[in-house]
Amino acid sequence: MSAAPLFGDAFARRALLEAVLVGALAGLVGVHVVLRRLAFFTQAMTHATFPGVVLAALLGVNLLLGTGVFGVLAVLAVAWLWSRQGAEETSVIGVVLSAGFALGVALLSAQAGFTRDLSSYLVGSVLTVGRADILSTAGVLVAVVLVLAAISKELVLGAFDRGTLVALGYRAGLLDVVLLLLIEATVVAAVPAVGTILSVALIVAPAATARLWTDRLGSMTAVAIGLGVFAGAAGLTISQLQNVAAGAAIVLVACACFVLSWLLAPRYGALSRWRASRAVLSTVDGPI
Amino acid sequence: MLHRLLVEPFALPFMQRALIEALLLGMLGGVVSVFVLLRRLAFVSDALTHTVFPGVVLGYLVAQTRGIVWGALLFAVLSAVLLTVLSANRRVTEDATLAILLTGFFSVGVVLVSRRTSYTADLTGFLFGRILFVDRREIVETAVVGAIVLVTLAALGKEFLLRAFDPDGAAALGYRLPLLDLALNVLVALVVVAAVKAVGTVLVIALLVVPAAAGRLLSDRLTVILAAAVAAGGLAGWFGLAASYQASVYHGLRLASGATVVLALVGLYALAFAVAAGRRGLGRLGWLDRLAAAGRPAGGGRA
Repeated sequence: MSAAPLFGDAFARRALLEAVLVGALAGLVGVHVVLRRLAFFTQAMTHATFPGVVLAALLGVNLLLGTGVFGVLAVLAVAWLWSRQGAEETSVIGVVLSAGFALGVALLSAQAGFTRDLSSYLVGSVLTVGRADILSTAGVLVAVVLVLAAISKELVLGAFDRGTLVALGYRAGLLDVVLLLLIEATVVAAVPAVGTILSVALIVAPAATARLWTDRLGSMTAVAIGLGVFAGAAGLTISQLQNVAAGAAIVLVACACFVLSWLLAPRYGALSRWRASRAVLSTVDGPI
Repeated sequence: MLHRLLVEPFALPFMQRALIEALLLGMLGGVVSVFVLLRRLAFVSDALTHTVFPGVVLGYLVAQTRGIVWGALLFAVLSAVLLTVLSANRRVTEDATLAILLTGFFSVGVVLVSRRTSYTADLTGFLFGRILFVDRREIVETAVVGAIVLVTLAALGKEFLLRAFDPDGAAALGYRLPLLDLALNVLVALVVVAAVKAVGTVLVIALLVVPAAAGRLLSDRLTVILAAAVAAGGLAGWFGLAASYQASVYHGLRLASGATVVLALVGLYALAFAVAAGRRGLGRLGWLDRLAAAGRPAGGGRA
């Protein structure tokens, strides 16, 4: 089957546009998630926004508004608990994750007949995105690009040398909150395409893959964006041809790129590291 | 009044079974959560709750409900091994590897389940569990898994602690750290497998993280943290089930029991947080310490 009839109708074209936009956004933000080791936080955001989905459906307001509000609440809760002494970082994230998701489930259970919306929220339904979804994803993308253009240097410095950042007079805690909010906005924007549970993959996998190929931040960002767009487009094509869930297909493409790079990347791949270690051994005479 | 709130609901046989299951899982989760806290395995636990999903689906397709536990077990061990292998590449941090592993496995499960007709019901059951429907056999399974986990922890607990606090020392003593890590990951996976059918993934991750996090707020001492975690896990199971029953039966508000147990656990965490904050506040005032010091022979430690 050729590409022309594959994306012939308006639904499929909108889906492709959404997948490409989300892929680019996720790749861009993913670089910071990977450098700052915020994958677990991202995962927690996808669960903690759940009560927002349920409430939005109950009150009949926009889904993005509901998830957005609860996402901001979760970000503030994490940032506040992190600033207290004695609370270890990953367990704080775990507590916020559990609390948010359980609240959502409790709200949900008080309400019957909600399951269909729920599953599309969990794993996405990119083929039913409308003009409004695409516009809000594009809006989030523009906003994220602008914010990152303004504070990217500071964020990278914070990732590698937090002490210097503080010594230079920056308010590191405030920068953290801004970054967490960017991640949260990306998670929310990715929900229509890949759903909450799988949005984590689209954010983390392209950036982690890019890190296996390059040492430079600029090229890492470019590769991550390219891989995100590729995963979105290729996953959607596969789901059209094979009739499987689109969100899952997109994620599996992103994961496959990572696994292949993990094996084959020129310097940091498993194969070349294995060959390098053999080359070292062959220069040694006799048993070690 | 208290009797009616906390004891009466459990006169019904299905509530008794749910209570036994919740207490078993809560206390088991409390013990294991201490190691999850020490080794910072919160994300590993969360990942394992998702990676067993394709195993649950495959097990069900092969042998219906009897296959679920074995399918989940197979995929839990598989993902624990893959995690250990993939983490060998320093270039990619462990959390990124975990995120990719968990979503990749979960996607396989979604692809498998999306070809079935009862798609949404299956997914919902997996996520939220059905603790009110546990039967005698499932309770026995949970008890057996719990016993295996506790015996292993009793045997290897010292090694796990050494590895947590002094990895270099453990390596110098000849312990193989990747094997120890793998063993602990498999133990966490066992708890996930034991719990996932009854209570769903949501409750499992809470049981594996929150109890020890609450205990940690109260004390620096391992035994106190352990005791507090076990107590929190058990109490949350009890209170949560009772609250869910009260809301459903007397107030016409259906609350999912698994989620209510988690909310009770989070409530206990908030209580521990308030106690810790209050103690620090009083400590800052200083008069309590002086009062305590006055009643004690000189040279005593902080109360």
